[in-house]
Amino acid sequence: MRVGIVGAGTMGVMHAAAWAQTGAKLVGVYSLRDGPELAHRYSAKVFERYDELLKAVDVVDLCVPTNLHPAMTAQAAEAGKHVVCEKPPALTMAEGEAMIATCERAGVRLFIAMVVRFFPQYRAAQQLVAAGQLGALGVLRLRRAAYQPRKEVDNWFLDEARSGGMVVDMMIHDFDYARWLAGPVIRVYAQSARALAPDSSGDYALVTLRFASGAMAIVEGAWANPPGVFRTGFDLAGSEGLIEWSSDDTATIRTFLQPSAAQAAACPERSEAACPERSEGAGLPLAPLPEDPYTSQLKHVYRAIKTGEPFAVTPQDSLEALRIALAARESLQTGLVVTL
Amino acid sequence: MKVGILSLAHVHADGYLALLPELPDVRLIGFSDDDTERAQATAARTDIPWLGSDAALLAERPDAVIICSENAKHRAAVEQAAAAGAHVLCEKPIATTLADALSMREACERHGVSFMTAFPMRFDASLQALKAMLKQGELGRVYGINGINHAECPSRHRAWFVDPELAGGGAVMDHIVHLADLYRWLLASEITAVYAEVGNPFLPESVAVDTACLASVTLSNGVFASIDASWSRPSSYPRWGQLKLEVVGERGAVAIDAFAQHLTLYSPHASRQPSWVNWGGNPNRAMLAAFIASVRLGAPPPVTWQDGYQALRVALACYASQAGGAVVPLGGLTAVG
Repeated sequence: MRVGIVGAGTMGVMHAAAWAQTGAKLVGVYSLRDGPELAHRYSAKVFERYDELLKAVDVVDLCVPTNLHPAMTAQAAEAGKHVVCEKPPALTMAEGEAMIATCERAGVRLFIAMVVRFFPQYRAAQQLVAAGQLGALGVLRLRRAAYQPRKEVDNWFLDEARSGGMVVDMMIHDFDYARWLAGPVIRVYAQSARALAPDSSGDYALVTLRFASGAMAIVEGAWANPPGVFRTGFDLAGSEGLIEWSSDDTATIRTFLQPSAAQAAACPERSEAACPERSEGAGLPLAPLPEDPYTSQLKHVYRAIKTGEPFAVTPQDSLEALRIALAARESLQTGLVVTL
Repeated sequence: MKVGILSLAHVHADGYLALLPELPDVRLIGFSDDDTERAQATAARTDIPWLGSDAALLAERPDAVIICSENAKHRAAVEQAAAAGAHVLCEKPIATTLADALSMREACERHGVSFMTAFPMRFDASLQALKAMLKQGELGRVYGINGINHAECPSRHRAWFVDPELAGGGAVMDHIVHLADLYRWLLASEITAVYAEVGNPFLPESVAVDTACLASVTLSNGVFASIDASWSRPSSYPRWGQLKLEVVGERGAVAIDAFAQHLTLYSPHASRQPSWVNWGGNPNRAMLAAFIASVRLGAPPPVTWQDGYQALRVALACYASQAGGAVVPLGGLTAVG
């Protein structure tokens, strides 16, 4: 199976490392920036054009700004190539639906990389909920508190027209997870820093969901922490039980190191946490695990293509999560409660 | 100074009975209660006298009383206490209706006694440190606050908490007010709008009040905040509940876990398995000391009737918001200092 990655940013690098753990071969990279560096690491070829890359691969993996997903997916499908596409699938429901329809028509698979479903703590909690350990779900609390994505060149994350902003780009993970646990959402209300003050240097949002089941959820998203900080957590309360989990409390390795000479010179006044060596790009909520979730996800993609087995998260699932995210954005824009 | 406790109905009364004798210059004259069995058991356990009815206690001419009756009975107790010339520290929520709350204020003003609302978390060391940080602008512009005041359903300890007549509601009435007050106090701003999801997902078979509430509020300084007032902790939780909040602003975030100073006890003799045993400060002690000091000095109470009233308005707005499925504006408010 020959794979081509489009986009050599944070996600392209992660996906390349994950593909290397599968039976597939990364054969090509097409990227506006940093393509040669990534291609060289995996002995892949650098492509100057997307259509040239498509000719050389069986699967294309789109790690590009979200506004590019629909057209690039359509082009790949028309070329008869399977598509792995970073989340969110698209920035509008119509575009997302068109992506699904195009791939179906072309007979190719479409995998939206909703990676949180491959994080073991999220999977374990979902299995406990599905097994009835908590009874009926009552109140869900979901947290994703990161720093604002940083890119020296073309920080498209901050351009709502290309990323959808934090509520769409990042919080879609927790909207998807909430829906996975508690089913369809009927009502959304949201507040955010940037909606209230568009010139905010960071962003912060609190989104309330109500489910058809009667359960409710509060989803918190932050692009406000110092670079390098990425805190996640959930608190799932049901009629018969409770699950608490926080990345703050379950670190299996913690460091308390004197700053290196280079760090001390670079940020004399700041703690190690506030001045990590690598805080370029978007943050990743990673912890030491036998297998990182991005690898689990792409191994699953690999098997699904090989065997035809269904993927754990369908493109429709990702679209439903997008629907919630777009409702949250509508609520931010209008100040009103949005009924789905 | 002679101090009495009017009713043991509220779960906090036991704590006050233990703390008041420790305060210098306070003579705890006793408590009233209308539950004979509970009163006799408490008197036997604590050696603090049960004086019978509220009227009997007030006949002893206390300088100050703490109102720990059921929420809907606060009004009658406050009016009697004021008429007897006793300064009042009143449990939260201060009433179940705005009319009752207004009448309580009127009674205290008429008889020249002070009224303090029992919001102990203002006296918590971590929250006072947070208040100082915010005042100094250490977070830069504040974006929002995400707060939790979870508890187990208190009906296991006091059945009236789930009686809509006596409590005025469920989790909303019990727990919205603490964080609503803290947000007003921390940000020196008023809550101007409320949206809430309210329901009873936790005890649908056994109680007739709400057990879950997620409220979203907007403050007059442009900050937004969330309150989770749910009775979402199971009875197997290591403690009654928790109070946590995170403030997020342009310079990052501050996280508060007000009851984090605990030991984890694993013992067959503990009331919970395991059990979180507090070793940190007790904000009730500082609150009682501040109340007593204000009475002694004839100074305004550190937490006012207005504070209790505004918090009650937020709780009532949660119900109004849920009923209408919309954001409820709270107009015509003045900022607190």
